[in-house]
Amino acid sequence: MKRNYVLEPLGEMKAMYQAYHEEMVELSRKNGKIVLLYGDFPRGAAGEMLQKEHPDRIYDVGIAEANLITTAAGLAGGGYLPFTHCHGIFAVGRAYNQIRQNVAFDKLNVKIVLCNSGMLWPFMGGSHQIIEEIAAMRVIPNLVLVSPSDPVSTKKVTRAIAEHVGPVVLRISNPAVPTVYRDDFPFTLGKAVTLTDGGDATIISTGMVLSDALEAADMLAKEGIKVRLLDMHTLKPLDEEAVIKAARETGAIVTVEDSSIMGGLGGAVAEITAENAPVPMKRVGIKDRFGQSGTVPELKEEYGLTARHITQAVKEAVKKK
Amino acid sequence: MAHDEKLLQRLTEKARVIRRDAVEMIKAGDSGWIGGSFSQADIIAALMFHQMQHDPKNPDWEDRDRLIVSKAHCCETVYAALGESGYFSKELYKSYGKMGATLQAHTERIVPGIEYSGGSLGQGLSFALGEALAARIDAPKDPSGRPVPRYRVYCIIGDGESNEGQIWEAVMAALHYKVDNLVAILDHNKFQSSGTIEERMNMMPWVDKWKAFGWDTVEIDGHDFEAILTALENTDKVKGKPHIIIAHTIKCKGVPSFEHKNLHFCKLSDEMYAEAVEALR
Repeated sequence: MKRNYVLEPLGEMKAMYQAYHEEMVELSRKNGKIVLLYGDFPRGAAGEMLQKEHPDRIYDVGIAEANLITTAAGLAGGGYLPFTHCHGIFAVGRAYNQIRQNVAFDKLNVKIVLCNSGMLWPFMGGSHQIIEEIAAMRVIPNLVLVSPSDPVSTKKVTRAIAEHVGPVVLRISNPAVPTVYRDDFPFTLGKAVTLTDGGDATIISTGMVLSDALEAADMLAKEGIKVRLLDMHTLKPLDEEAVIKAARETGAIVTVEDSSIMGGLGGAVAEITAENAPVPMKRVGIKDRFGQSGTVPELKEEYGLTARHITQAVKEAVKKK
Repeated sequence: MAHDEKLLQRLTEKARVIRRDAVEMIKAGDSGWIGGSFSQADIIAALMFHQMQHDPKNPDWEDRDRLIVSKAHCCETVYAALGESGYFSKELYKSYGKMGATLQAHTERIVPGIEYSGGSLGQGLSFALGEALAARIDAPKDPSGRPVPRYRVYCIIGDGESNEGQIWEAVMAALHYKVDNLVAILDHNKFQSSGTIEERMNMMPWVDKWKAFGWDTVEIDGHDFEAILTALENTDKVKGKPHIIIAHTIKCKGVPSFEHKNLHFCKLSDEMYAEAVEALR
């Protein structure tokens, strides 16, 4: 089955935080307004560079996420472009009101990086694996919410949000993930990427499970089921046009995410199809339960996020057409 | 050194005017935050009409001093000080708190001269910290290599508000980064929303707490202009640490029959309005 923009075979494994920092080194050198803020968090390549070259543009407020977010808002008020770094669970979970009131309310130019987001943070267990970040951030007015899927898209997203004026939440996962995209793939904030095209059903994926969705599309093709695969890297504003088109043209939709399907990508897509083009749907993702310790493959198996689970969901959706 | 009597008289008059205009706003909006708005009024007057470098004709001047009112419900005397300074027409007072109004029930950045949209308590000091850090980036350095900040940031916090843990997160970080262009002023009016500080959450001793966090700490009468101006000016003499002025104030200060009462969020009856207008003539 023809794949658009995809490396054959998939490329180097790399953590998204590393890819993010590789891009931020150049951006921070070029844009003197960029300030990096941390909540007792690893500096990364860009942080280490700023520490040496521009120590007045890097701050760590310690284990104090509320102060982290609001201090960033103040720096934006003072004309700078702050990026905050801490675990996603603590930014969203402990500083929700600060994100809402101090950043989004006034459309301040703050970029909030939710590090180690999603269910697939190995070993750490349920206290650290955030499953509600998509649902919680998506309902806040004025925010842009992005969720890249691999090292290349992480770099493209990073560049795009640095250029976008306004508040952005970036969710990136912990584990090293395969490079799915070729470097030259066209990236536009708010526009889904079509990786494969087929008329039987559509898989809409966000975040690091894209490679699993891609594998599922291949497995289905071998069984004669041709799917369209969309990478929904921007969760807000969601590419409604692509969702409605997919519903109308393929007649069945399966969403895939490493976060809660309640209010997550699954919920968001269902809201759009229900109003515009109701079609059979299945939502692959976290189903109203907390996480636990485990390896990435173990967690994918336990929480139903493998390519096999995705193919099963597609077959069930297609059957209901 | 004592300040010029004419200056003190001018500020006393400005404080009367902003309290008077705030009463009109609260009457027009049929609700308001008279208690905390009046307890901070003399501090607001000293800042806006003397201490701060700002330009009503150019609210976005990059190097203006900032005023962050963290207890942002106490907006009426802030709006009144901005209107009196010429940031906008006093006509706006009539629509205070009404549907579609620029002057919302908590300070918002849509208002010319307002730096911070508050309403969720305990956050303004962190915002002020961020603004103060921004003033040091790309700033010139003194001979010892210390940045000479491009502007100063003043932040009014409440005593009830100090229950919030985030206040103390900001206190910790401001000292860590030696942010000496940050001046916090505690409007210590002894009340919070539903009762006295002593009843609800007794945070004594205030002075020792701030000193223990390493801040340059002074305690003053927040209705004595001589004391307010001296304290504000002295903050410029202490380098390498942030400053806190613990200002003892009186809730509803300015209308004798209201003073020391917990008129926190209230409506002004016709009698109360008449009393307030008479007291502030």
